[in-house]
Amino acid sequence: MSGTPVLAARGVERRFGRRAALLPTDLELRPGELVALVGPNGAGKSTLLAVLAGALPPSGGRVERAEPPPLVGWVPQRPALYGHLSALENLLLFARLQSLEEPASAAEGMLELMGLPAGSQPAAELSVGNQQRLNLGLGLLGDPGVLLLDEPTASLDPPQRRRLWESLSERRKSGCAVLVATHVLEEVMGLASRVVVLVEGRVVRAGRPGEVAAEMGELGAS
Amino acid sequence: MRAARLLLGNDTRRLLRSPLLVAGLVLYPLVIALLVGLVVRYAGERPRVGLVDRAALPRTIVIGERPFDLKRLFEEAAEVELVRMSEERATRDLETGRVLAVLTIPKDFSVKLRRLSESPRIVLETGEGALGSRVAEKIRALVYAVNLKLQRAYIEANLGYVDLLRRGGTGKIGRERLTVIGLRQAREELEALARSSDPDVAEPARELAAFIRQVEGAVNQVDDFLRATANPIELRTEAQAGRTWALSAQVQAYALALALAFVALLLGAAAITAEREERTLGRLVRGLVSLGGLVAEKVVLVAAVGTLVAAVLSLGFGLVVETADVTGGQPWERLPLLLAGLAFGAACFGALGVLAGTLARDAGAAMLLALLVGLPLALAGIVPEGASAMTDWLRGLAPFASVVELASAALYDRDPWAAVGQEIVRLLVLTLVFASLARLTVRRLLT
Repeated sequence: MSGTPVLAARGVERRFGRRAALLPTDLELRPGELVALVGPNGAGKSTLLAVLAGALPPSGGRVERAEPPPLVGWVPQRPALYGHLSALENLLLFARLQSLEEPASAAEGMLELMGLPAGSQPAAELSVGNQQRLNLGLGLLGDPGVLLLDEPTASLDPPQRRRLWESLSERRKSGCAVLVATHVLEEVMGLASRVVVLVEGRVVRAGRPGEVAAEMGELGAS
Repeated sequence: MRAARLLLGNDTRRLLRSPLLVAGLVLYPLVIALLVGLVVRYAGERPRVGLVDRAALPRTIVIGERPFDLKRLFEEAAEVELVRMSEERATRDLETGRVLAVLTIPKDFSVKLRRLSESPRIVLETGEGALGSRVAEKIRALVYAVNLKLQRAYIEANLGYVDLLRRGGTGKIGRERLTVIGLRQAREELEALARSSDPDVAEPARELAAFIRQVEGAVNQVDDFLRATANPIELRTEAQAGRTWALSAQVQAYALALALAFVALLLGAAAITAEREERTLGRLVRGLVSLGGLVAEKVVLVAAVGTLVAAVLSLGFGLVVETADVTGGQPWERLPLLLAGLAFGAACFGALGVLAGTLARDAGAAMLLALLVGLPLALAGIVPEGASAMTDWLRGLAPFASVVELASAALYDRDPWAAVGQEIVRLLVLTLVFASLARLTVRRLLT
């Protein structure tokens, strides 16, 4: 994939006290590409996504954004939402906080797109699957140019997973850059344009999905 | 600003949607107000004291030809509620605590009182414990007040005798009825004799007349001497610009500060850690709201809720005081000033709570930390200024003493503006310090 990166990590590292969660890492995201960030639990995937999203300041290095800066949607691994608000109220609040032009219609549209209940039921009382969909909906608000998804299919049933990947493919076609963190490589094999493997806070492999899978298969075989 | 306003609305909705919390925020100050009201009412209540009247006191007693309504005298001056009872019952009630003390009037009380020659004695027995000293104090005040009235009667009686000696005529001195010539008439008669042509009569008469004039001059001053020796030091009370002391004022100020401290500290800690618990903080700090804005929003939230709690507490306290008819109750017209000042106090406690939340990170730990911080600071605020260097240092750092001072001044100072203004400035500075520290540490919640 060619083009100017819309979002890039340049030597980004993150430490929590003495523990290094992410060693100096470089990563670029270009418009229309879907990059799969794979690795075992604790590899530093979520940390990298949070730093790229601006939710966590890096301990070193820098995060670069294209000009004009694209809207970055972030879907953390665990639902980040207000439990006392309904799904619609959550979407409406964040639409307003993002200063979207028509927050009410944006929130209602997302509610419909995600197939979320329209009632006044507090988000804390929604099923785990619905909470995860609301989490996704909050990340997708405002039609972001960059999407950072952390294990987005966790807690989703197979039809919901399928719909998610279809939705991401459509966004990708319209130029949205997607970075998906997952520990299941097979899940993104058919969709990803690149795969980056992160182990113990360090990028150990990067390339096309087939190449990376082959390398990892060989490693696994040996 | 807009984001902070949206978050403020969200937090308000969070509070309103928790019925238990809303009930707590309304009931808590009401319960505190009721308890404070009871404390104040009890403090203003007259202790019950048994009265054993061995002298069988008559309703009135004559002192120096002046009748005295003894019953009324005791009732008017009574700092205690005197309950007449038999000796046996008094002993029993004192043992069981039904009365806090027993006042015994001995048999010879009336006789000694009438004679004006020897001070009659009354005997006070108190129970053990802290209340005994309080009752003894009240009885001392009672005896002082009765003594004052009797003293005036004694002086008037004695002055009556002096006047009889001066002017002459018929009157009673003690029990004896006498007719005396009087100093004035004696002098006039001696002066007449002094004009006699017989020198043996005139000379001694002149000397005696001169002596009686001297005696008259001295006797004329007895009035002032008597009053002066009876009251070598006279206390005159004048109302000036200053604090109108009432127990209720102190108790209410402490209750307001304590209630506000705990509500605001816990709410501040809970409000900030809730963003971490719900993992929404990460979303917010991605350019939706600044960290300073987030801290400020929580402080404003706590200030608003704290002021409401203080308002409920003040209204509740006022109602309890009104219905219980407590002296020195709440001046209602000062309520707006009080609440305006307490808003700054709530903001300060709130900022401290937010700081505790950012340091502890976890909601439970934050609550515990807020309590652990709040309790010693509150106690340091109760310790009088100058008691120890350490508590003075703590008082300076903590908002508790300032809130107590502010509430006391706002409610009961005759001219409260200077004191209230000074404490508001102090609270503002402390709020800024705590909020700035919270702004520095709030990033801890992101990890």
